[in-house]
Amino acid sequence: MTNEQILSEIREANLTYLMLAQNLIRSDRAEALFRLGMSEESADLIANLSPAQILKIASGNMLLCRFRVDDDIVWNLLTNHTTRKVDNDATTRLHASILMAGRYREAMPS
Amino acid sequence: MAKSVLNESRQIARAVSLINLGARLQVLESETDLSYERLLRLYKEVAGKSPSKGQLPFSTDWFLTWQPNIHASLFLNTYEYLGKVSALEDIDAIMKAFKLYCEQIASCDVEPLLSITRAWRLVKFIDNNMLTMTRCSKCGGHFVTEPYENARHFVCGLCEPPARAGKSAAAGGILLH
Repeated sequence: MTNEQILSEIREANLTYLMLAQNLIRSDRAEALFRLGMSEESADLIANLSPAQILKIASGNMLLCRFRVDDDIVWNLLTNHTTRKVDNDATTRLHASILMAGRYREAMPS
Repeated sequence: MAKSVLNESRQIARAVSLINLGARLQVLESETDLSYERLLRLYKEVAGKSPSKGQLPFSTDWFLTWQPNIHASLFLNTYEYLGKVSALEDIDAIMKAFKLYCEQIASCDVEPLLSITRAWRLVKFIDNNMLTMTRCSKCGGHFVTEPYENARHFVCGLCEPPARAGKSAAAGGILLH
């Protein structure tokens, strides 16, 4: 991947992310906060962006969406890496969903 | 209070959403100000049949058995998440959380065990301190438990499944292997 390609892929991902986030927030705020895992403040900001602003913000050398799973337990469940008592992909994903649905702290105003 | 047409239309819209989600008449009676007769008529119009009769059969025990507990915990975590991050009316939070729960369950190829009525009952049990959520000492997830569960030693049904759990061959159930 050339540097130019990297920058254009990042821009593409940022655009897709911001546009999806904006659609989700506009169609159902509460649901969007859960799906996106972001605070109300951030959601307000994104909802009010104009297309021109989105284009401008999307082009940079940094991704705008952050990794949501920063926790070994959840990550291991999602990838089913560890040998545990439960060895069923669907069930471990269900377990991960329960843990992730419990993480609202990241979406609270600091 | 003077009857507000706007408020009434909101109540009807809410009742219709609940009926579409499969709610029993008791839920509608509790969550709207509409009269029993109007709800009955509305129910027949929307669902195309008469509502099931009789008491709601669910006790707190059901939510503590292995599979239902996992379903109930997923729903309740989602419900509490919504309540924490945005100011929603209780019943709206229940409906949204139920929808998200169904999505998540479907993505795991499991049949949903909770109905909207059961989900609603669960929230009432939590509100009345007949059930609570306790943090699993192994995975840190929050699970539906009895109110007097010992939080220091509590381990959830997914970290330590009971001996005979997940053995049933029933399609759409939670499997361990």
